[in-house]
Parts: sequence; C-alpha cells; structure tokens
Amino acid sequence: MSTQFVQAAWGGILFGSVYGLMALGLTLVWGAVRLLNLAHGALFVVGSYVAYWAVSRLNLPILVALPIGVLGAAAFAYLMHLIFIRPVIGKPGFDNSTLIATVGISIAVSAAAILIFNPEYKVIPPVISGNFTVSNVQITKQGLLVIGASLALFGAVYLFLTYTRHGMAIRAVSQQQEAASLMSIPVVRTYGLVIAISGGLAGLAGVLLSPFFFLNPNSGFNPMIQALIVTIFGGLGSVRGALVAGFVLGIFESFVEVYYGVAWAQPGVFLLIILMLILRPNGLFGIGEVRRL
Amino acid sequence: MLEVKGLVAGYGGGEVLHGIDLAVHEGECVVVLGPNGHGKTTLLRAITGLLTPRAGQVLLEGRDITRWRADSIAAAGLVHIPQGDLLFPEMTVTENLLLGAYNRATWSDRNARLARVYELFPWLKERGGQLARTLSGGERRMLALGRGLMSKAKLLLIDEPSLGLAPLITQQIYASIHKVKDSGMSLLIADENANQVAGLADRVYLLETGSLVRQGPAAELLRDKALLESYLG
Amino acid sequence: MSARAAAAAGLTRPALDRAAAPWHRVSLWTVGGVLAAGIVLPLLLARIDIGTYLITLLILFFVQAVVAQSWNLIMGYGGIYSFAQVALFAVGGWTSGVLVHSLGWNPFLAILVSPLVAVVAALGIGLPTLRLRGVYVVLLTLAFHELARVFTVTGPRFISGGGYGLVSVQTFQFGNAIGNQRTIYLYYLAGLIFAIATFVIWRVIHSPLGVAMTALRDSETYAVSRGINQFRVRLVLFAISAFFTGLAGGYSTHYNGGISTTIFDFPRIIDLLAMIVIGGWGTFAGPILGAGIVIGLDQYLVALGDYQTLILGLALASIAVFAPQGLWPPIRRLYEKYLAPEPLPPALEVSPAAPHDTTEEL
Repeated sequence: MSTQFVQAAWGGILFGSVYGLMALGLTLVWGAVRLLNLAHGALFVVGSYVAYWAVSRLNLPILVALPIGVLGAAAFAYLMHLIFIRPVIGKPGFDNSTLIATVGISIAVSAAAILIFNPEYKVIPPVISGNFTVSNVQITKQGLLVIGASLALFGAVYLFLTYTRHGMAIRAVSQQQEAASLMSIPVVRTYGLVIAISGGLAGLAGVLLSPFFFLNPNSGFNPMIQALIVTIFGGLGSVRGALVAGFVLGIFESFVEVYYGVAWAQPGVFLLIILMLILRPNGLFGIGEVRRL
Repeated sequence: MLEVKGLVAGYGGGEVLHGIDLAVHEGECVVVLGPNGHGKTTLLRAITGLLTPRAGQVLLEGRDITRWRADSIAAAGLVHIPQGDLLFPEMTVTENLLLGAYNRATWSDRNARLARVYELFPWLKERGGQLARTLSGGERRMLALGRGLMSKAKLLLIDEPSLGLAPLITQQIYASIHKVKDSGMSLLIADENANQVAGLADRVYLLETGSLVRQGPAAELLRDKALLESYLG
Repeated sequence: MSARAAAAAGLTRPALDRAAAPWHRVSLWTVGGVLAAGIVLPLLLARIDIGTYLITLLILFFVQAVVAQSWNLIMGYGGIYSFAQVALFAVGGWTSGVLVHSLGWNPFLAILVSPLVAVVAALGIGLPTLRLRGVYVVLLTLAFHELARVFTVTGPRFISGGGYGLVSVQTFQFGNAIGNQRTIYLYYLAGLIFAIATFVIWRVIHSPLGVAMTALRDSETYAVSRGINQFRVRLVLFAISAFFTGLAGGYSTHYNGGISTTIFDFPRIIDLLAMIVIGGWGTFAGPILGAGIVIGLDQYLVALGDYQTLILGLALASIAVFAPQGLWPPIRRLYEKYLAPEPLPPALEVSPAAPHDTTEEL
C-alpha cells in the first residue's frame, strides 16, 4: 500500500475518532436539552488541565489522572448547568441566554487556565507511549488508544441510552418532554445529568488528545468548531450520526489534505457541509425536527 | 382521594377554568363531560402539574399537590394519560411501556407489570419492537393506556379516550377501561361521549365554558337524554 | 385599502398621529447637543496631556460601535445568530488594504469599495442561511469565519502577507497634517462614519422594515402569514449590517496602517458580543452604550491582564442569564423620565400589521 494512502487512512480514522468523541457530548446535550453548548470546548480544556494538575502537582500517574480529569470536567459541567442553565429553562429567552452564557463561560475558562497555569503550552504524558511504522507512516499507540476509546465510548453510550433506566429517561426527555414528566421523570434533573455526562466525555477527549494538540488554554475552540460541524452533519441529537459523521468527515478531510494539500482541507469540508445542509438539512440521521418556514 | 377546590387556570392572558370543585373517591369512576374547547384538557393538565393553577387547591389523599411539579405528582400516584397520547415517537412499543414504569418503585418489577398489561392488550407483546410513531390511532391509544397502567397509579386521569377513533376501536378502548375499573382503579375521565361512558361512570360532572354546571350520579344525569342533547349537541 | 375606501365601507380608522413618529420621540435638543459636543470635544481634548490618547480611544469607540450596532441589527433585532461579523469586518479591511497596497488606490476611495465587497460576501453567507434554524446559522457563520481566517493566513501573498496580514499599508493623508492635527481629522472621519451608520440603523429600526424584522424574530409564522417576505427582510438586514461593518473595516486598515490576521481571534468576537449583551441586546442604543463600557473598562482593567477576560466572561454569562435586557433599559428609563419629550399613550404603538395599512408615509 502506498505511503500516501496509509497516511491518509490513518489520519482519517484518527481524526474521525476524535471528531466523533468531541461531537458525542455536543449531540447528546442538544438532543436532550435543546441546548447548543458553546462551552463544550471549555470542558475539553477543563478535563485536560485537571488531569495535568493531577500529574504535575499531585504527581499521580496518568492512568489515575485521566478519570480525575473526566470527573473534574463532569462536575464543572454540572455546576455550569446549576448556575447558568437551570435558571432559564422554560423561559422564552433560553436560546439567546444560553448561547451567550456558554460563550462567556468559555472565555472565562480560558482566562482562568492562563491565570492558574500560565499560558505556555503544557505537556501531558500520553497514556500509552510508543509507536510503530506501517509503510513509512508513524502509527502512535496513543492514537490507537484514542480510536479504541472512541469506539468503546460510543458503544457504552449506546448501551446506556438503550438499556438503562436513566438512559431511556434521557431519550424520553429528548423526544417528548411533557410525556416524560408524566412518567415521573424529573426533567430538569435529567438535563443536569446529560450535561454532566457530556462534560465528562469532553473532558476525556481533552485528556486523550492532549499529547496531540498540546495543552493550551485556547485548545478547546477549534475542536469545538469541528465538533459542531460533525454534530450537524450527522444530525443534531443523533448518537449514531455523530459516530458516522465523525468518520466520514475525518476521512474526507484527511484524504483531501494528503492528496491535495492542507489548504484545501478546510474549504473542502466547508463545501461538504453546505452540500449536506442543502440536501438534507437535518443531517445524516437527524430526527426530522419541524423546520421553521 | 382526589379533591379539587376552586381551581382557576388559564393560558397567557386568558382564563379557562373559573373555579372548579370536584372530587374523586377511592374506587370511583368520575367522568367530566363537556364539549370540545370548554376546558376539559386544561382541567386535567392543571391537576397533574403540566399547567400551574392560578388559584385554588388540588389535594391528593389530603396532601396539597397544587404547585407540585408534574413528575412529582406522577410519582405520587396521580397518573395522567394525555390527550393526543404523547407517546415517545422514536421508541418502540416495549420501550414506551417500560418508561411507564420509570419510577424506582415500579422499575424493579417492570416485567411483572408488563405481563399484566399484555393481558389487557396482547398485541402489545407481539408488536413490541415496532416504533411508536408507526402505530395507528387506536393502537396509540391502547399503548398510551398500557403505558399509564405500568405505573403505580392510585388514580388514573384519562383525557378523551375516544378522540379521533373509529367506533369499533372506541368500543375496545372503553371495554379495556372497564376492565381497569373492575380491577379497583380510581378513574377520572374527561370525555365528550356520553353514551360510551354510561356504563362506566359512577358520577358525572358537566363542564361548560370553564365552569361545572351540573353534577350528580351517572345513572341520573346520563338518563336525561334531553339534557344531554341540549348540552352536548 | 385606501382611507377613502375604508371610510366608504363604514370603517373608521384613528387619524394618523404624526406625533407618533419615532423621530419626534428624541428631542432635537439632545441630538443637536450630542453632535455639537462631538464636534467640539477633540478640540478641547487636544489641549490636555492625555487628550490625544483619549481622542484615539474615541476613534476606537466609533469604529467598534459601528460594528456592534451592525451586529446587533442582525442578532438582536433580526434574531439571526450570525457569527460572521468579524469576518465581514476583515473582508472590508482587506479589500481596501489590497486596493491601496497592491493597486495603489487612494485610501479615501478604497474604503468606498470595502462596504460593497462586504455586502457581496454577506449575501453569499446570507443566502444559505435563509432557510436554516438558529443553530445551523451559528455553525455556518462560524465556519465562514474560520474559512476567512485560513484564507488570510494561507492565501496568496498579497493578501496574507506571509501569514501576518497586511502591513505597511498607506494610511489616510489629510493634506500635510501631522500629529495632533491629523488625529483630529481621523477623529472626524471616524465620527462621520459613526454618525451616518447610527442614523441609518436608527431609521431602519423605526421603519416598516424594522417592524417587519422584529415581527419575524418574535413570531415567524405569524409574520409570514401577514405577508412579510422573510427572505427579503433577512437579506436586506445582512446587507445593511455588512455595509457598515465593511466600511468600519476599511477605515480601520488605513487608520492602523495595516490589518492583522489576529483580528480573527476569538477574543475579538467576544468583545463585540459583550458590547451588545452588556449594553442591551436588541435595543437601539444598547450596542453603543456597550461599546463605550467595554472599551472604557478595557483601558481601565488592562493592568489586570487575564483577570479582565475572566471577569468579562463571567459578566457576559451572568448578564445573559440574570439580566438579559442589558444595561440600556434602566438608563433609557432614566432618560425618558428626565430628558425626553412627552411620552406617547401606548395605544398608538405601531403594530406589525400597520405598515401595509397606512396610505400615508409618516
């Protein structure tokens, strides 16, 4: 197999997993709470910085720091829900308020990261180090871990949503909110649960990806834009969509980048998005929401 | 078991219910009769927490649940089977039923509950994997009913059981409700169909433009054809 | 239905109340006073030590306020969550920059082209977003922003300047003026742009178009059923918003002598957003007030460095959730209490249906 092909394929699958992971939390929150969480990138940052802190200040091994980072991000997300989202649930200005509030939180987190940790790029050791080559292409073991983790998480989330009591409640709330409360499902508390879970997912993505992206306070912004693109491409609210879209876009972008050059990757993806929005505005697997005129 | 005193409720600038007093005793089947648009659904929604009453009281077994959230009220045993069914469209028949037993108390014996519901509507078991949004009108109604029965309801509120259904299905539905009543469940039914509820109801209230204009034993009220005609048209 | 026909049909309509026109609500004294103060201010400031610095702050204020108002037009009044504003500013800035730097145009002429190119770009973004719901617009416009950024960084040399943007671009020349005198001229130019933009936006908001757009924002189905063409309204909004933003961008390039790719950095969007949110989302004077507050605080708090950003972020989030109206409404209440002419009885407020019914133009 040609080096180029392997390069493109490896990059594509890796990107794809990353995108999927990032998009998963975003799509869950949208599906259940109808909230566009622009603080998603910040949760990514919180997770990775908490893990970094555990490693550098508490001298814990990365394997212990990882779940700490995840929990930190989840807790932060839940706090955000309590202070900034819960007060406006059900009010007419919900969309506006949460859009701006999540943006505000996002920059506050960046600033806090700079203040607490100073702005230099930080390094977290990868969970698995080492690599090997295939056809002249370097395959990192951390990369394999990311791919594995991504698939595993999607599987876990799927099982959670399908077979557990709380998972089904989350789906119920996202499909028919009134009926859900008639089933004695506490809707607002379910929102909090989903937000916390998505925070944890973002945090995990942050920790796993730090060796690739390095740690800096603004490292959440671009992945979040990518996550947004993937989420919409796959269909807002669809877990399956996030997985498929992640890989489709990741592989597409990687092949364009390898065969046509970096400059074409972004515009290529952009065009693909526009095409999707024109042909299937609800994305690949979007639950057909009532589109306004 | 259920007491409603002076309930006032409405939407936006308007008032739909102008002070409702009613009661449902244990084991009773009470029917609120009224033409469309006169507040039957609003009444049920106000009682079960989907709408916050502006004034008045709702008491369940003596407890004041007037301002309770809908999910707390459902957990307390007041289960609302809403107009339009409000099924979970992208979930299967079985999943919809299971969600009826969401409450921690009922979740543990959800399989036993499923079995009981299947006795009432056997087809639910056969078509368990079908998506709720692909069901016909009558099937949705039965699923909604079954879902409500999965809970530990002490009192079932049913909003317009026969709305939009063909006569044959309607009969099936009421027959099923009858079975439910026979098993000892207390019922509050909002309906437009005086004939069908005749065999079911113990007491009847007549609701007209947001106020209860008559009430009495079903036997009495429902026999008066002239009254019903002039009232229900 | 003409007034005569209506009368003939036996219907009566209340007489057109000329006093209800929006410009009667703002006292001419206030406007005149502000204008006069604006003209005289730099001359006074030039006499004090930090005066020049303050004048440059005011220039910054003018530029930012124009962009903030334009963005507010789309987001606050139009209800369209477009995040392309900075990109449009950049389009304007780069257009005029390239015209001057690579083609040797005169800056004063070049900035006349900026708004036009920005409008074209905006229509390009606006069209795909026409049928999309809020969330998708955020995404699409953010994607456009990203695209613009990448283009300016990796694009052809005459645009990207090696990844840093345009540098050493010729600035405005006012005859032989230098130093303070020149700064004052720059001030007047910026002030002129600000005044025109503010006036036009004010007129738009209080015109049938403005009513149409708030109607669309508040209740789309109703507005459309009343015959409001949502596509046309949205496109016009985009165009107007982009026009002034592009103009501001062009001015900025020749004021600063260049335009940098750092303009696309997230903090810039945040600053603008803060101006709108803190000042008053969806109000006329909100973004102006917000611009003043943000720029003022910026200077004051710059010593705090990143604490400032932290506070800004939290302030944004808090205001959005706990005081969504911003700071303008309470100030407006004070204004109306003490400075404005007699308030109008509420019954005469123009309703969304009214624009099509009147035969006379106010």
